[in-house]
Amino acid sequence: MKILNKVKEKLKKIIRAKPVSLKPKKNKPVSAERPASVIRDIPGFQETIAVNTKFSHPEDMRARSAMPQELPSCYGKDKIILQVRDVRWLHTYWELGSQAIEELKNKLGDDFYRAKKILRVYDVTNIVFNGSNANSFFDIQYNDFANSWYIDTAGPGRCWCVDLGLMLTDGRFITILRSNVVQTPLDGPSWITDEEWMIPEDIFARLYGMGFGLGKSSPVGRSWQERLKKGLFSSGISSSPVRKEVKERSFWMKVDCELIVYGATEPDAKVTVQGQPINLRPDGTFTLRYYLPDGKQIIPVKATSADKLEERTITPIVTRETR
Amino acid sequence: MHGHLPFVRHPEHEDFLEEDWLYEAITETYVPLISVFEGLVADGIDFRITMTLSPTLISMLSDSLLQERYLKHINKLIELSNKEMERTKWQEAFRRLAEMYFNRFSHARDIFQKYNCNLVNAFKKFQDLGKLEIITCGATHGFFPLMDVCRDSVRAQVKVAANHYESVFGRRPRGIWLPECGFCPGHDEILREAQIRYFFTDSHGLLHGTPRPKYGVFAPVYCRGTGVAAFGRDLESSKQVWSSIEGYPGDYNYREFYRDIGFDLEFDYIKPYIHPDGVRINTGIKYYRITGSGNHKEPYVAEWARDRAAEHAGNFMFNRQKQACYLNDLMGKPPIIISPYDAELFGHWWYEGPMWLDFLFRKVACDQNEIRMITPSEYLEENPRNQVITPSLSSWGYKGYSEMWLQGSNDWLYRHLHAASERMSELSRSFPRAEGLLRRALNQALRELLLAQSSDWAFILGTGTHTSYAVRRTKDHLLRFNRIYEDIKSNNINENWLSDIEYKDNLFPNIDYQLHQ
Repeated sequence: MKILNKVKEKLKKIIRAKPVSLKPKKNKPVSAERPASVIRDIPGFQETIAVNTKFSHPEDMRARSAMPQELPSCYGKDKIILQVRDVRWLHTYWELGSQAIEELKNKLGDDFYRAKKILRVYDVTNIVFNGSNANSFFDIQYNDFANSWYIDTAGPGRCWCVDLGLMLTDGRFITILRSNVVQTPLDGPSWITDEEWMIPEDIFARLYGMGFGLGKSSPVGRSWQERLKKGLFSSGISSSPVRKEVKERSFWMKVDCELIVYGATEPDAKVTVQGQPINLRPDGTFTLRYYLPDGKQIIPVKATSADKLEERTITPIVTRETR
Repeated sequence: MHGHLPFVRHPEHEDFLEEDWLYEAITETYVPLISVFEGLVADGIDFRITMTLSPTLISMLSDSLLQERYLKHINKLIELSNKEMERTKWQEAFRRLAEMYFNRFSHARDIFQKYNCNLVNAFKKFQDLGKLEIITCGATHGFFPLMDVCRDSVRAQVKVAANHYESVFGRRPRGIWLPECGFCPGHDEILREAQIRYFFTDSHGLLHGTPRPKYGVFAPVYCRGTGVAAFGRDLESSKQVWSSIEGYPGDYNYREFYRDIGFDLEFDYIKPYIHPDGVRINTGIKYYRITGSGNHKEPYVAEWARDRAAEHAGNFMFNRQKQACYLNDLMGKPPIIISPYDAELFGHWWYEGPMWLDFLFRKVACDQNEIRMITPSEYLEENPRNQVITPSLSSWGYKGYSEMWLQGSNDWLYRHLHAASERMSELSRSFPRAEGLLRRALNQALRELLLAQSSDWAFILGTGTHTSYAVRRTKDHLLRFNRIYEDIKSNNINENWLSDIEYKDNLFPNIDYQLHQ
């Protein structure tokens, strides 16, 4: 009961939250931050405006409705697609429209509701598959909500085909959709060796191990497993191959000091700080910022008038001591 | 070396965080590499390097808006490093580093302007000099094994890339870096159609091929039926550079990547140089060396790091000499050792990487005569007889196959991507000779499809961090594609909207939608 209440609460929140999410999103260049005329002149803005000023203009609404924000849930084509993920796993996804389901219901009557939803996975290695000549097959029962599945074939180097279908109560299997055929790769070296290019096993074993950077003595077959353990793969754009930050403990603090020295004089005067000339702003003011290490800093600031007749020196002395 | 960045260009936003990927790569990787090449040529050092410049990267480097923005970006960094020289006046170790960055950034701007703000000109120059072999990649770095059910799209990825390459470099590409090193048997046929002579696979792509490759990964093979050559990655040399445990980049004298003044300094001071929303980001100014395994860091000492880079280059060369001698005895012919790396490793992640490469080139040219550098084209010219096999499905991603791009967090993409591919094929079949507005719409449809296919989006979703941008990009391109498709089908193309999209997603100006079939 408690859980049910929680769910209800959540639902309420979601329902309440919904109108909020329909407000213009706070994306980077929102029209409010720029005059509309400027935006209109910049090509490429059109689509962005449509997104950002949703519901604010009848005109924009039209542009908006022409450009949906979410991808369609189906494409109106019944099909099942099979892809290889690695040496033993396949991935399949399918689309089955309501029309096909209605036809099946009409054809099968009550049997339809009693039937199990099945993915039949055929091993079709070295054959032209005609639906009934598979080397072997196994079934996977899937639930009503699934539209994709990962399949463990445990069979490297073999060809596979999948039927999406129904298993009737009398044991008959009805195919609704048939997938493309795919082949899983080998998980070790091929046992086929070209006769013309015959090579002794021990030499190949050394080459094989070296190919994986594992020295000269790895037996054929094991090197790949070792490589998997060592994780020697490329890492792509958003992670470093170099090294991960070592986090010792999560709690931390850091404190540091900087010093700002600022002042003003006649705009045409020459100013030096610790003997080195600095640039003044057009109004004669200046600001300098330094990292302040521990110890004493003596900072003579000297201004000389443009005609070099007058001079002023002011010398702040700053001591930092960190305990 | 594999140089790629996804197409990130947002004219509709003045500051766009993800565009920094390009600016950082220019300052930290591409300019330093170009400087290394320039130095070698000036000193008469012969060298060879094979490098991908992905079509999206070329498009961004050649884009005038991004060039303008890069200049703005590098000018800000020069300004910041200038301020840093003053701020660190009483800390000699840091002041010297601030000066190092000031010089580095100024140099980056000089090089950038020397090549008319288009670094592709620089790379082309070294290719024309015969030192660099530039190869192509998938048009937008789509991961081919997961496009196998719609090979029309693989074909478009390859052919759009090859044509784009030709328009930039004045000749056909001889080789290709398959995105993520992802090879699926049969795709060699598409490479052959595009007159591409060779590609690379990860080591198991060759080692697990059928029949067994006689020389392992130390000689190329020809794909059965097509004769396209495949070169296999050598993991021993990869490991020396890549490995997070044994690799060179982890040396304690090298620069620490994770300590950047964008995060370390006081907020008001650094605010003008981070994201306008106040989000702290990397500026590229990093003052510390790795120091040790803990969080305590000491200031970087450029001389020490330089010495170490020279030492590591010597070590790398020594190991290759030993490896080559051993293999030569075993095989009875000279082996080829393929050591591919992401370009961004050099300079961006591993600050001393370009310097290491410079030392390596010089040592190989001057200090020994057992090994030499060679491009795959040159190797094939010299060694035309090779074994014929069918390489295995493989990639250089996590676990060696497709899992990085096909897991719970990103598998939903493929339903939409495949549907769009199918629709694109339908369009190009329905309109074999479109002209005018219709042609523009069809071409743009292909651009949007290609952009949606970038493996980078699936990769980011797979890593699970900063995923919102990747989701947005995939959806945006698919939605634009779907709208163009609907508009064409209902014979109702909105020219204003189309122009807008053409302006935003402006890559591949000469694209031909007929390549998708």
